[in-house]
Formats: sequence, structure tokens, C-alpha cells
Amino acid sequence: MEAKDKNAKPKIKMAVYWGSACGGCCVSVLDVHEALFDVIAAADLVFWPIALDIKYKDVEAMADQEIDLCLYNGAVRNSENEHIAHLLRKKTKILVAYGSCAHMGGIPGLGNFSNREGIFERIYQTTESTVNPDKIRPQTITKVKEGELTLPEFYNDVRTLDQTVDVDYYMPGCPPQTERLLEVFTAIVTGAELPPKGSVIGAYEKTQCDECKRKKTENKTVKEFKRPIDIVDDGETCFLEQGVICLGPATRGGCGVRCIEGNAPCRGCYGPPADSPDPGAKMMSAIGTMIDSDDEEEIQKIVEQIDDPAGTFYRFSLPGSIIRRKLL
Amino acid sequence: MEEKRIGVYVCWCGTNISKMVDVVGVAEEVGKLPNVVVSKNYKYMCSDPGQDLIIKDIKEHKLNRVVVSACSPRIHELTFRKALTNAGLNPYMFEMANIREQVSWVHTDREEATKKAKSLVLGAVARVAYHEALDKRTVEINPASLVIGGGISGLSAALEIADSDKKVYLLEKEAQLGGHTANIDLCFPHMIPARQILGPKIKRVENHPNIEVFKDAAIEEVFGYIGNFNADIMANGKSRNIEFGNIIVATGLKPFDPSSVDLHGYGKLPNVVTSVEFERMLQSGKIETKDGREPKNIAIIHCVGSRNNDYHEYCSRTCCMLGLKYANQLRTALPDSNIYEIYADMRSFGKGCEEMYAETARRKIMFLNFDQREGIPQITKAHPEDCCEMLIEMKERLSNTNIEVPADMVVLLVGMEAREDARDVAHQVGVSKCGNDFFIERHPKLDPVATTTDGVYIVGSCQGPKDITDSIAQARAAAARVLATITQGTVEVEVTTAVVNEDICCGCQTCVNVCPYTAISYDEEKSVSVVNEILCKGCGTCVSACPTGAIRARHFTDQQILSQIKGLMTTEMTEV
Amino acid sequence: MEFQPTIISFLCNWCSYTGADLAGTSRMKYAPNVRVIRVMCSGRVDPTFVLSAFQEGADGVLICGCHPGDCHYHEGNYKCLRRYHLLQKYLQQMGVHKDRLRLAWISASEGKQFADLADEMTATVTALGPCKIKEVMETLA
Repeated sequence: MEAKDKNAKPKIKMAVYWGSACGGCCVSVLDVHEALFDVIAAADLVFWPIALDIKYKDVEAMADQEIDLCLYNGAVRNSENEHIAHLLRKKTKILVAYGSCAHMGGIPGLGNFSNREGIFERIYQTTESTVNPDKIRPQTITKVKEGELTLPEFYNDVRTLDQTVDVDYYMPGCPPQTERLLEVFTAIVTGAELPPKGSVIGAYEKTQCDECKRKKTENKTVKEFKRPIDIVDDGETCFLEQGVICLGPATRGGCGVRCIEGNAPCRGCYGPPADSPDPGAKMMSAIGTMIDSDDEEEIQKIVEQIDDPAGTFYRFSLPGSIIRRKLL
Repeated sequence: MEEKRIGVYVCWCGTNISKMVDVVGVAEEVGKLPNVVVSKNYKYMCSDPGQDLIIKDIKEHKLNRVVVSACSPRIHELTFRKALTNAGLNPYMFEMANIREQVSWVHTDREEATKKAKSLVLGAVARVAYHEALDKRTVEINPASLVIGGGISGLSAALEIADSDKKVYLLEKEAQLGGHTANIDLCFPHMIPARQILGPKIKRVENHPNIEVFKDAAIEEVFGYIGNFNADIMANGKSRNIEFGNIIVATGLKPFDPSSVDLHGYGKLPNVVTSVEFERMLQSGKIETKDGREPKNIAIIHCVGSRNNDYHEYCSRTCCMLGLKYANQLRTALPDSNIYEIYADMRSFGKGCEEMYAETARRKIMFLNFDQREGIPQITKAHPEDCCEMLIEMKERLSNTNIEVPADMVVLLVGMEAREDARDVAHQVGVSKCGNDFFIERHPKLDPVATTTDGVYIVGSCQGPKDITDSIAQARAAAARVLATITQGTVEVEVTTAVVNEDICCGCQTCVNVCPYTAISYDEEKSVSVVNEILCKGCGTCVSACPTGAIRARHFTDQQILSQIKGLMTTEMTEV
Repeated sequence: MEFQPTIISFLCNWCSYTGADLAGTSRMKYAPNVRVIRVMCSGRVDPTFVLSAFQEGADGVLICGCHPGDCHYHEGNYKCLRRYHLLQKYLQQMGVHKDRLRLAWISASEGKQFADLADEMTATVTALGPCKIKEVMETLA
């Protein structure tokens, strides 16, 4: 559809790419529903593997900075993710780390508790459903009679997008809330003044509790940490005050407190508020403070109830934290 | 952002630092940092010329931040902050690197010590770069004072202040004023009756229009800060709240209980008595054994519970003179008795005391010396044929012989201990205790009656074993300090409190109960936490408890500390 | 040359920092590996500080506060103790040896204990060898 109106703004060129991700971020873009018409009215989607048949070589053929806006979702797990991250960086004016994986490493980032060998061994050998007596593993190059077959190289570590290329903005969420995407998109196409480079966009300055409708009091002491299935939730009391670890106070708002509205505690996908050098440490400190005991042995017992502090406080942010991977 | 212009000053402290740290080298190296405009070394930074050097440089080089690398900030931070103020710079734009107490005095390898000193200075430079100007808060001084303890120290302090027409609340735990002095017969070295000293003081205190005495009284809780304290107290079964500007702690001592010293047989042998019990005997005028006989042989054993690692390492300072006093009183009362002064070392320091020792020695007193390291004298019940009630076995050091000393009465010169409730008092008023539970003064020489909590002073034996003379001197010194602040009318207080950034605070209220001073409350209307800066003491615990990073600890911000960490770990001189 | 660890230490102003000063005024000698950061209370020590110290290359982190019951601010040291145990568990999960982080109580009169602690921790961390956090994280970048 050609724009007839001469005063109409020229369309921006937009790309959406997934690296190491589940695909949810791409779906969140589709979730704009009928607003998709407004999006296409304002933007040409020049690259979006999940929806459009455009090849890498087509991107390579573009001029540098030809793409105005690229939403890169997914972490950087392999050589293909990395290659495309560099390619898109070169071709894009505004590169957005879109979603928790690109922002902080996300769920794939939990791979940093292990390494390539550990993961391969589990997947290709020791899983209960695997029979692989010849110990066949994926190879980056496999010679067959028709020629060479290649696979991207699986890296030892998961990286965030900004640990790979220069990133302009971060849009957190697993996945980002569609309303926030539309706000950001509208801001960009209308030429609104954008925040300084490196900012988190599409999220609030305040954390979840600000929006959360549950009743909060100062009574935040915990004798026993519980999993959500261990409590009879009245749907009204702050999770922390019921002994359930909720990362809401240390997680930016913007998602619409979706998990909490669904009676599940916040797990932190929207990432920490501004100026946090580490995404999990502050919450760890707060939770530690809440332990209701001055007796060292009892404190240790209560701490033991938190089975997996690293996975709890860094569920979406391990590669983006200070200690980005387990020391093996 | 303004350009950071940092001045660094590395102190020699004579040879104290320069002997172990290459101060010239450190100053040179640090001078290479981009924001460091001047970097100098000087013999004594705390001296007037040293401070003038800083003041001159601040003006000449337009310095806006200063690092002094010298002794502990606990000693001279205020000195240098004052110098900054004199130069027109905010005193908080200053940081100290402690390269004396924590480097030159504790290390032996000059190269390693220099390396560490450099690292500490880099940490300070990195930190000071993020310092912010803070305004001191001026508060009015409530002219009333609280004196805790109605012994000789507390009474003296109370009178001194009350005589200057200022209100004093005097709290005494017991039903009577006077403390331990009331149990003393004569005072050494001039043998003045203690009641002559104490009696008039008590009378004056009880009738003084400016003194309100609470007996049978206890503090429940103290709130506030210098100039504006208040306390919930319980006196005579009634609770009350009183307001005051300064506190003098004069809670005194506890006599050592010798029951735990098995060899002395206290509690088992009826005529082994403590000095406290013996004073009572002297006061009553009857020196006699439990069965009413006049003792023929009397032994006075020194250092009971003192100067002995099994009990207390420290010297109780009064027992030697007490022993000499008893010898004199006994010689007068029982001219024909045998008196044995069994001592470990004779410490007759103090005006008129050595003279008293010499005088006593001429009065037919047997001085027997023992060595604490080789064991203390053992007291046993004598056999009927021994013609005395007890025998004291000891190794006499000067003659190097094992001897037995006959005794019908033994006086144990028990030392002084901190009171059992010292910890409670320390908490209530915010003072620290040393390893022996005596309260710690701000500086042993430069500020001996003040504490690290502004407006709280310690006097008498709660600070350490002391005689009446020293106790009164301390009491009046503290009174002078209190009167000085009252006269000034206002005092500047630290503003290194916590503060909530309302744009970030999510209202989770995690911080509210973390504060031990109830300084944080939740503002329902704004849905944020609020810090009452008057109540906040700046510990920073809420800052680290805040999951959002919404609370800042002024002068101890995350950024300042993280930057200091970076500085400490810097190896490249261009990084900081 | 023998490996010389660097240990970042957070000392509370009232007890532990004063205790460390006392070691100095008493001219006790101890290993030069501990670098002190003064905080008002051990309750101010944020796990972020500890992680950041490791990130910057510290081989060990030592936190000292007043003895339980003796905190100048009543209970800040207990808050520190609680956080410490949670942080320890997290660090161990990340493959950081437990002896690299230590919490100890040093009173204002315990100069000797501080000196001994500094020596002890230096020996322990020397035996553990360099902490790899900084190096590993840098090679990931």
C-alpha cells in the first residue's frame, strides 16, 4: 500500500529477530492484534524470521544503518546468534535488547550453571529417553557425500546481547508486555524524544509493589520460606508476608503485575530498577534481612529452606549479573 | 557535572608512617591520576602548617575534594574536615586513608606496606570523587541534663551542673544516694572520713532546687540525640518521661566476688573477708573475728581478681592504697597485732601515696611479696596446735622461700569489675564497651570523658577502676563539657542519615521494621516509606535491606562504596 | 613469587574498625593483604558490595561487626548475619569456595583477634589460590 498523503511521515524500517529464545517475544509482537495495522502503517517490517521469508543474505545486502529499529530478542548462545547480532548492529540505527533473554540472559541464561560439555552430555547421553551408544554429538562441520553440512557452534556460555554488541535500549520482560511495546513503538515513529542511550524503556521506574493490589504491611519477617503450593493463598495478602519469595519489590513494573494477578509470585523477568549493579543481590539482601531469627543455627536452617538462591534471585538474569556463570 | 579537582596529602607522621611506607613514592604515584590536581607529602599533616597547606591549595588550585592519607579517621577526620570548612569547602568533600594504625604500625615489609598504602589512597580518591556536599544540621540544646548514677561521680557532676543554674535529673538505682563511697570508712592517703566528703554532697543534691533525684530508678529506653534526648524511666514504681540535652553516665562498678578464687577459701573460711566487708567493720569500729575475738594476726592480700589472667588482666588501681590504709588503721586500733601485707607489686602512685607507703613501712608491718605467675597465696584452716586460725602458704619472692603466715583474719583486696548491667546501659545510651565491659572514651588522651556518641559522657569507675579523686575530677570535667554545649545553645549534628527516594520507593515496607530506632514510617497517602532524620542514627541497615535501592545512606552511598572497592583493587593508575 | 591474595574487608566503625586501629596502636603485626573499607555498621554491608569486590578481583572478602548483642545500633549485625548465610549459599552455588567470604565479630578491644583473623584469612585464601571470578568474567566479555 503506497502512502498517497504527501505529508505522511516516511515509514520506518523495522526488524525483529530471535536469538536463543523460546519464541514468546516474537509472539508478543504479534499480540498487538489489530494494532498490527497501525504498526504496518508506520513501519516496514524488513526482517522477521518467524513471520516473513526474508533471508540473512537479504539483510547482508542492506546498507549500514538502513534499519531504523531492530528488536533483538533472545540471548547469545551460539555462533549464529552472535553473527546475526553483529550483522543487525551494523544495519540498525536503534538496536533494542527485547525481552529478558536479550536484556539479562533470561531462562536460557540458566545454562551458565553448566557448560557446553555438561549440557551436551545431559542432552545427548544421560537423559532418560536417550539411547546413544555411539556417543554421537552435534558437530559444527559434518562431511557427507553431498558435501559439508554445518551447524552453528554451541558456546560454552550464554551471553546477553550487550555483552556481544553495543545496545541502544533495553526492553525487559518475558515477554515484554504488548502495551509497552506499542508505547515504545509509537514514541519512535512519532519522533518523540528518546531517553539517553542505555536506558531501560517500556518499563516503569517503580517496582511491582507500586501497582500490586495485594495488601502490604510492615510485617515482613519470615520464619519459614514456603513455595506457593505450600500456602492457602487468600489472594489478598502480600506474598512475602505469607513466606513466599516474591521478587516484586526488586522488579520493575510495566508487566501489569501479571503473575501476581494470576496468584503467582513475581519471578523477576522485568529486571531490577535503575542503577542496580547486580540484578539479584538487592533482593537477596532484602530476603536475608526478613529472616526472623538472631540465632545463627536457626538462621542457617531457615536459609536452607531456600533450595536454590541463584535460580531464585537470578532466574532471568544470571548472565547479566556480576557472577555471570558458575565457576567450574 | 563539575570537574573533580582532588588534592591528596600523604602524611609522614614523623617517622611513624614514613619508616614503613614510602610516602614520597605514594604521593608521586597517586599524583598521576587524572582527577588528582595536587599530591603532596608532608611531615605532620595534622599540624597547623599541614592544615594550612591544604587550605592554601584548596584556594590556589580550586580543589573541590581532599584526601588525607595519615592516621585513623577516628583520630583526625574532624580536624581535617574543619580545615576544609576554613577553606570554604564543604567538610564532607573529604576522605581519609588510614595508613598508620592499619598500615605502618602493623606491617613489617616496607614494599608490601607501601603497596597497601597506595591501594588505600586509591580507594579514598575513588570514593571522594563521589562525595556530596552535606549541610550540617544545627539543633538546639535542651539545657537539662541526665546523670545516671548517684555515687560520688554522679553527685559531683550533678552539683557542678546544677550550681550553674541548669536542671539535672539524677537517677539512682538504689534507695540511697552515695554508691560505693558510702561503704568506705576513711579515704587514703589523707585518712579523711568518706562521710565527710559524701554527706554534704548528698544533702546538697537532695535539697538542690535544680536537681530532681529519682531513687529506686531505672531507665527503660533512651531516645533522641545530643541536645534532644528523652527517656522513659521508672522510679519508685512509677513511669515517667523526661527530656534532656546531655547524658552523664556514672554507673560505677561492682566489687570482684572472690568466691571463685578457690585458694583463698572465701565463703568457706569464716574469717576471710573482702575489703568491702572490712570497711563495714571499720565503720562500725569493731574489728573482730566471726566469734567476737580480737584478731592477733591479720593478713591483707592484694590483687584479688586483678592482674591475674584467670580473672582480670587489669590493675584495679585502688587496692594497694587500700591495703596500706588498712595496715595503718589496724596498727592504730590493734597496736599489738601482727599485720601482714601480702602484695604482688606495690603501686602507690598518686599524690601523697608513695609517702603513705613509706610511712606505713615504718609502722611494724610485715610486707611479703608474691609472684602472681607462680601462684597466689593459699589459705587453709590451721591445726588446733598452731595457735592461729588460718595458715597462708606462699612463696615469698624477695627471700625466695616457701613460708607459712599465721592469720586470724584475712582481708582480700578485691578488685573492681564492670557492673553486670553495663551492656544494658551501653545499649540505652549508645556507648561502646571494652573487653572488660568498661565503657570506652572517645579518645584515651585527647577526649577522656566524652564518648563516640555526641552528648553522652562517661565518668567514674564505669569507665575503668578509679579512686575518688579521679572520679570527681572526671565528673567535673564532664560537667564542664556539658555546660559548654549548653552555653553554646546549639550544636551541629551529623547528617549522615538515610533518605528515601520517593520516585523509586515502591512502598513494600521492608525497611520499616528493620530500623531499631523507629525512624522509618510508611506514608499511606504517597505510598512510600519516609525516614525521620531526627531519629535516624545513620547505621545504613535499611539501605541494604531496601530491595529497590530507593534508600540512600548519606556519605555511605552504594556508589561511594562501590567506587572505593574499585579504587582499592586498581592496578592501572589511569583507571580511578 | 608466592601468590599474595587481596582481601577486601568491611569493618563496622564502632567495634571492628576500632579493634583494627587498636591492633595498630598496640603495634601488633599481621599480613598486609587486607584492605579495609569502613562502614558505620555491618548491617550496611550489601551483598552487592561483596559481589563487586570479587568482580574487581578480590580473592577474599571479610566482613566484621560487633559481637552479637553488642551492636552499636542494637541489631545491625544480626541483619548482616542473616544476609551472610544466604549470600554464602548463593556463592557456593556459583562455585565460590566458602572460605573466600567470612563474617567475624571483632570488638573494639580485640586488636589481637583482628590481627590473628587477618593472618588466618590470608593463609586460608593463599592456600585456595587466586579467585577466578574476575578472570572468568573478563574472558566471557
